[in-house]
Amino acid sequence: MERLRVEGFRKKFHDTEVLKGVDFCLPKGEILAIIGASGSGKTTLLRCLNFLETPDAGKIYLDGELLADASAHYKERELREKRKKFGLVFQSFNLFPHYRAEKNVSLAAELMAKEEAKDFRRNLKRELLSQKVPRARTTARAEAKAFLKKRLEDIRLRAGELLCKVGLSEKKDSYPYELSGGQQQRVAIARALMLDPEVLCFDEPTSALDPELTDEVLRAIRSLKGRTMIVVTHEMAFAREVADKVIFMADGVIEEQGTPEEVFGDPKSEKTRAFLRRRGEQ
Amino acid sequence: MTDFASVTLELLKGFGVTCYIFFITLALSLPAGLILAFGSMSRFTPLRTVVRTIVWVIRGTPLMLQIIAVFYGPYLLFGITGFDRVPSVIAAFVINYACYFSEIYRGGIESIPKGQFEAGQVLGMTKTQIFFRVIFLQLLRRIVPPMSNEIITLVKDTSLARVISIVEIIMVAQNFARAGLIWPLFYTGVFYLLFVGILTLLFRFLERKMSFIKV
Ligand SMILES: Nc1ncnc2c1ncn2[C@@H]1O[C@H](COP(=O)(O)OP(=O)(O)OP(=O)(O)O)[C@@H](O)[C@H]1O
Ligand SMILES: [Mg+2]
Repeated sequence: MERLRVEGFRKKFHDTEVLKGVDFCLPKGEILAIIGASGSGKTTLLRCLNFLETPDAGKIYLDGELLADASAHYKERELREKRKKFGLVFQSFNLFPHYRAEKNVSLAAELMAKEEAKDFRRNLKRELLSQKVPRARTTARAEAKAFLKKRLEDIRLRAGELLCKVGLSEKKDSYPYELSGGQQQRVAIARALMLDPEVLCFDEPTSALDPELTDEVLRAIRSLKGRTMIVVTHEMAFAREVADKVIFMADGVIEEQGTPEEVFGDPKSEKTRAFLRRRGEQ
Repeated sequence: MTDFASVTLELLKGFGVTCYIFFITLALSLPAGLILAFGSMSRFTPLRTVVRTIVWVIRGTPLMLQIIAVFYGPYLLFGITGFDRVPSVIAAFVINYACYFSEIYRGGIESIPKGQFEAGQVLGMTKTQIFFRVIFLQLLRRIVPPMSNEIITLVKDTSLARVISIVEIIMVAQNFARAGLIWPLFYTGVFYLLFVGILTLLFRFLERKMSFIKV
């Protein structure tokens, strides 16, 4: 089944066209690796998917349904709902420096739970008032409080599980500055997983790391196999090994796409061949 | 009326006025400065231009002039009278300090890496949540040192209130001086020093409390 389809993505910064019509699709549970030279538009593509940039043209379909169309104008609230379908792990981690690892993972979910509890209380109060139940306000407040407490407990538990999954259960009370780059990036991965996005994107997750730390992060990503993921990477060996599908980008277009065997083993395009030769892959 | 105890008592009364002006100004200008800071960073050009012009005018003219302008301006321009002296001096101080604070806030917000805002956005947080949950503490950590400088300056700037005849501590001492008693004027320094000393300790405590935020 097809999870993601991107159609006709175009993006201009001032006068330079960074994406010149990008189309691709990604089946559910598959891993897409995007490779390409610096400046070819890989980061811009991920940022458009996560609604950090608005493309000038293009459509995103999720599970066959239109999620976003660049020509439509979305309200902040709608945009936030759409954003939640995608997760993004940044090159530079971007952890929140004033929260411990666990709080970094749980924060967004906690804020959402609080909003939900507020709605829950409002609706319950309205319902109780309409049924003329005595002490409606107090009851609604107490119920909402219990609801929130349960939710927050679940969230803490889940955050702990996710940290455990990326091998950091011992570090849940550490601040980001107390962690190595590799550990920080794994916290960032757990944070992105917390909201259980339909498509999880990684923008060169290991390129800010010392070589000896890249393995632990790649291992964490590998352990997520089964999720629909897009990984922009300079690690050709990793792309070759874990990806179900590889896209080679050059100058804002998809120059070549296919299985790792096709793209790495028998590239059709001269540009792909040149790129891989420079990387020592051919 | 010229012994140490009664002079101290008189000066304390004046210092009460000083503290009153100080605390009210602080309580109002800290949030007002934040609002101005958002205005000066707004993507809506007219608003941004207006706010930046106000900040330029206020930072570019002497505070003493502003105090006089706020107090006499309504009368000179519209013939309105009857404003009390203390509220109008506080208004002048709030306007002045909000502008200085706004620049500190703006510098602080702009120094926070864009990735912090984006990480919040990607996690589906609202703008308000991002500001208060992600940005605010990091901002506070960065602005406490420059803010404490301004706040300490405010303690001493309150003495300008005497240009519209508000009887704060320096004014009290000057009245003694006019009657031939000079030493109370120097004695006022002790009050300021003690007050600023306490503030300094407080700011140092705040800085230490927040030193866990590595920026
Ligand atoms: N906000 C922006 N304003 C102007 N130009 C931009 C902006 N963001 C990206 N660009 C330009 O768009 C082009 C593509 O950038 P992008 O970051 O998407 O490339 P990339 O493939 O991720 O490169 P790298 O491998 O170096 O990360 C670059 O030429 C860059 O200078
Ligand atoms: Mg990039």
